[in-house]
Amino acid sequence: MNNREMNDEDLLRKFLNPEKIERAPGGFTTKTLTRIRIENRSSVEHDGFFARNRVPVISAVIIAGLIIAAILIPAGETGSLGSEVWKYFRDIELKLPGLNLPKWASYAMIGIFVMGFFDRALSGIFHKGKNP
Amino acid sequence: MDPEDDIYYIGQVLEGKINAFAYLVDKHKDKAFNLAFRICGNREEAEEVAQDAFLKAYRSLKDFRQKSSFATWLFRIVYNTAISLVRTRKNRVLSVEEFPADAVDFLGLNVSDEDAADDYRNSLINFALQKISGEERGLITLYYYDDLDTEEISKITGISRSNIKVRLFRARQKMAGIIRKVEMKNVFLP
Repeated sequence: MNNREMNDEDLLRKFLNPEKIERAPGGFTTKTLTRIRIENRSSVEHDGFFARNRVPVISAVIIAGLIIAAILIPAGETGSLGSEVWKYFRDIELKLPGLNLPKWASYAMIGIFVMGFFDRALSGIFHKGKNP
Repeated sequence: MDPEDDIYYIGQVLEGKINAFAYLVDKHKDKAFNLAFRICGNREEAEEVAQDAFLKAYRSLKDFRQKSSFATWLFRIVYNTAISLVRTRKNRVLSVEEFPADAVDFLGLNVSDEDAADDYRNSLINFALQKISGEERGLITLYYYDDLDTEEISKITGISRSNIKVRLFRARQKMAGIIRKVEMKNVFLP
């Protein structure tokens, strides 16, 4: 630093008191927290029903779709894509030693497994950016 | 002030305890407000800026990677929010003649009163700060009021260290010039 710079520095230090800071007005913390709470509440309110319940809604739509498809695809019909897929599942039999399960139980278990997988995947996608 | 405390309370906030954020606001509000005030030049805007900054910090808390202290991260938000605000408004150029009359009057009357002298110095500094740019005001505040080194200031402002030194030099020069002018004017006051 040259003399001029030293003078400027000294002059500023003489006038500027670091302890004389402007303090936040009274009630600042309360006001800020109130704003945060209001924003939190309004962001939850602004999210519509679908936004708040994306995972169960999508799951319900998929389940409904599968049920409708199962009803609409005639048993034993060949030629359609549905029946081609169906024939792979038709003969599945679940056998547990000492337990005779009805045929529908195997379909139900596969359905539960598939839907469980869907739920986890959807939940992972939609809740990715949210706070823990 | 222990930065470890900040980490603990940040963890609490991320677990959904909003009240833990009150600790962080309470701890950093004065320095955040002071930085906003020095850049904006008035208390109303400074309060708005400081509150906005805390709100932004709350929203982005999950993105805080702890590469710097919470204070540095928060001051960066305050600095950017305040600079954005002053950039949007038209700057009115103050002349030396506009330095508050009561502060000038004080010179001849109450020089012995240390509190009044302190008030005079403070108002002269605030006046000189209004004559430099928003960025320069931010740098002066961080360097002189918060006593931060150029490396820390660089993290807050995003300006390189060498550039900070140059800008600080210019800002200091301008402010010293203004202070000298006001002092001279007072000496030759009728």
